[in-house]
Amino acid sequence: MVDTTKNTLVYTTWGRKTAKPVNPNVAAKMISKAKRPLLVIGTEVVGNEQLTEKAIAIAKKGLPVAATGHSITVFKGMDVNAKYINVHALAHYLGDKNWKGLDGQDTYDMIVFLGHKKYYLDQVLSGLKNFTDLKTIAIERHFMQNATLSFGNLKPEVHIEALNEFIENL
Amino acid sequence: MSKISTGHFSIEDLENVQITIGKIVGAIEEKVAEEGDMGPTPKPSVSSLRDWDYQLLSRYQPVYTPVCDQCCYCTFGKCDLGGNKEGACGINLAAQQSREFLLRVITGAAAHSGHGRHLLHYLIERHGRDHPIDVGPSNLLAPNVQMVTGIKPKTLGDLEAAIEYVEEQLTQLLATIHVGQEGAAMDFESKAMHGGMLDHVGMEISDLAQISCLGMPKSDPEAPLAEIGMGCIDATKPMLLVIGHNVAGVANMIDYMHENDLSDKIELGGLCCTAIDTVRYQMDKGGKPYAKVVGSLAKELKMIRSGIPDVIVVDEQCVRADVLDEAKRLSIPVITTNEKIMYGLRNRSKDKADSIIEDLASGKEDGALILDLNLLGEVAPRLVLKVAPLRKEKGIKAFPTDEELIALAASCVQCGACEFVCPNDLGIMAAMKACAEGDLTKFEILHDYCIACGRCDQECPKDIPVLNVIEKASQKVISQEKGMMRSGRGQISDPEIRQEGVNLVMGTTPGIIALVGCSNYPAGTKDLYTLAEEMLKRHYIVVSSGCSAMDLGMYKDEEGKTLYERYPAKFLGGNLINVGSCVSNAHITGTAIKVAAIFAQRNITGNYEEIADYVMNRIGAVGVAWGAYSQKASSIATGCNRLGIPVVVGPHGSKYRRALIGKPYEEEHWKLYDARNGETLPIPASPEFLLTTAETIEELMPMLAKNCIRPSDNNMGRMIKLTHYIELSQKYLGQMPEDWHNFVRTETDLPLAKREELLKILEKDHGWEIDWKRKKILSGPKMKSDVSAQPTNLKRLCKGEC
Ligand code: SF4
Ligand code: SF4
Ligand code: SF4
Repeated sequence: MVDTTKNTLVYTTWGRKTAKPVNPNVAAKMISKAKRPLLVIGTEVVGNEQLTEKAIAIAKKGLPVAATGHSITVFKGMDVNAKYINVHALAHYLGDKNWKGLDGQDTYDMIVFLGHKKYYLDQVLSGLKNFTDLKTIAIERHFMQNATLSFGNLKPEVHIEALNEFIENL
Repeated sequence: MSKISTGHFSIEDLENVQITIGKIVGAIEEKVAEEGDMGPTPKPSVSSLRDWDYQLLSRYQPVYTPVCDQCCYCTFGKCDLGGNKEGACGINLAAQQSREFLLRVITGAAAHSGHGRHLLHYLIERHGRDHPIDVGPSNLLAPNVQMVTGIKPKTLGDLEAAIEYVEEQLTQLLATIHVGQEGAAMDFESKAMHGGMLDHVGMEISDLAQISCLGMPKSDPEAPLAEIGMGCIDATKPMLLVIGHNVAGVANMIDYMHENDLSDKIELGGLCCTAIDTVRYQMDKGGKPYAKVVGSLAKELKMIRSGIPDVIVVDEQCVRADVLDEAKRLSIPVITTNEKIMYGLRNRSKDKADSIIEDLASGKEDGALILDLNLLGEVAPRLVLKVAPLRKEKGIKAFPTDEELIALAASCVQCGACEFVCPNDLGIMAAMKACAEGDLTKFEILHDYCIACGRCDQECPKDIPVLNVIEKASQKVISQEKGMMRSGRGQISDPEIRQEGVNLVMGTTPGIIALVGCSNYPAGTKDLYTLAEEMLKRHYIVVSSGCSAMDLGMYKDEEGKTLYERYPAKFLGGNLINVGSCVSNAHITGTAIKVAAIFAQRNITGNYEEIADYVMNRIGAVGVAWGAYSQKASSIATGCNRLGIPVVVGPHGSKYRRALIGKPYEEEHWKLYDARNGETLPIPASPEFLLTTAETIEELMPMLAKNCIRPSDNNMGRMIKLTHYIELSQKYLGQMPEDWHNFVRTETDLPLAKREELLKILEKDHGWEIDWKRKKILSGPKMKSDVSAQPTNLKRLCKGEC
């Protein structure tokens, strides 16, 4: 079993409330319990075959995908429920109880992030942490201290292993 | 009795006596008042345009993304404001973030207007208050100054009243940062807008003064091309490197070199905006710029570490704080020339040139502070001639040798410390591994992505000088970094506005894309080139300035031509314009103001709100500061925002802490008045934001096309804009945009080639009623197409309201 909770050095911003380091199986279970989870996939998956594969595998477990940047291009023809949205705009709408989501149905209660630039996601998460009640989970290879739960800092190969375990437990 | 005005007059009988009246308080304002066209808000105070800001802020709401959840501003704290809690002074996190944003904006505005004040003071001393403002074939000389302050400046002296206003307002704004006052985030936001507006006035003053006095191109589409890139520096000659933003001192050096036949003997290269203005200097009559542009801020440490410069002269603004330390290691003397940067150096402003040169060349002192710019003009060139052979003799070694490079790379233990700290997450470990095996390609690619911050160096447990390794490994690509940049042409002239204004307002020229700001790019400099080329091919007007204008010139097509050589520089669709340095950004807002004044005949004098309302609803312009890093970028963007021009920054821009983003799904926000009758006018959700970020240029390009859509587009204009929006989405996101139908008012808005196909989608997916015989839309659109409608946010401008 991979332990993804060891290195939690903060490289980005600081605040008193810091993400709880989480292991892949626990993160997966939390998501499975959520009412309306949303998977937010960033552009770092583009051109990274392994990461793309994992993103698609997670989406295929039934999570709707908000594809930010130009990550939508990896989902073409993959039969997943993905829609393009700008991540900054998404962060704004997520904080609005009247927003009806990407599908026009309802808001979300748990947001999962993968494939983002760490400094960019950190800002998005900072907005969500401080101004909304949403639960956020970062399954990135960097410790995202502004998430509710986050993997620690991982080397690329360990990250992929962690994602495999995460997918198995979804 | 006739009133005394500024100028000269002689007194009869007193031969050879001429009295000069420098400045009479209120004189220029009085003149404008006499002309009778003063608008409602000359020299607005902090609250004068608050209603306008509140209108903007209700549609484009602040989105706060704190960099830090704590506040440590006063000794009540530090306070944890996490979860939007209140600090000991009562401020909550949202308001504290808006205060932080305001602080950045006024810092940027102060940098520009401080620069403007310095230039103005210096140039008035040299040329006198009566020196005319001469910026090219325009009557409207200072659109920002005139719109904001009500002053119509004609001379350098007239600009003083405008800069005084800016300084006074910036002081008021700075005072509001003090603890224990403002509690409403929205009011901090309105103040930030005020600061942004002031910034454009300050910038305009700076550039008007230098264009008028330093022989810079005057609205010249044929402004000469300058060499750019680290590869064009001739390292065999003694090299003088100038860094910063204020060209006054460099101008003196160039003069001294020309007067003393030294121009051929010294290689003069510049970094950042000083470089841009150096290649504008005395270029109003054409010719070949003497200096070369090394590049943007991202090249600063790279150039110093190369060891090529023999002397470094810094002035102000974007200059690294460690230039002296870095230069010292390579025996490069540093001269500081401006009170903003003094590096602890001894003030030698009153000393003799010989003694300064002796102390610096011998290494007795590492550098000198020289505030007398005439003295500087002599010292710097003479010093470089003296130091260069000494440095050569010493055999100063900058980068590792080939063997050392491989050994350094092999000593990497792959710990990842450098990567974790790298702001761009660059793949240093893999590049080190490849380099140790003799493969330099990974570093060659990384070199362009690396912004030369030097953070990696400080982390390495093996003391590997990572940046030097990157640079040494990339010598081959660096030697090929040779491009061309059109030197800054200044304003867009009145006749150009007359010609193109109508196309912009109708949308038949699909928009202005302004590529501005710094070099903190998320994925290298090439992105900017790709972006500009795509938009130029699509007939957008691409306007650039500052570091962005430089980086655009760094790449060539298969025929070896840069964008500046391929695209003309008129104010027309499909043209590429470099307005100039950072302070020339005022000409971009100035262009929008000029369209309102010249094309639409609106009175701009002291009439900010009406002009901003006009610009917002009619001019499809979007600013892009893809590598924005500085406070100045935030003030420039905020000044654009108050004037109704949206701006996108790159992902690093999320660290400005706040964006202004609208909600297209809330219909009540997307309505205006029709000034003809005061009726409500639904409008498309564009611009969707005033300030936001994008992740990649692939995402950015369709965003730009969409956000150039304006209510005033005629059918042809809307059709062109929609075509680009759809095509760019398909090309870069691989799909039709989800919301394209929201911009369709009638079938003639639809791209011609796709009309039938799109009508089918409208019928099938959106339930619109189509008359297939006549290929007409019968029902469905949320808004009507009516080119004579007069969209406005301002009820007071509607017929019958006043
Ligand atoms: S300014 Fe207010 S929030 Fe900040 S440290 Fe002082 S008391 Fe705390
Ligand atoms: S100098 Fe370059 S490689 Fe090193 S941390 Fe900065 S951006 Fe990254
Ligand atoms: S910090 Fe030094 S040793 Fe560690 S990976 Fe980077 S270059 Fe190698």
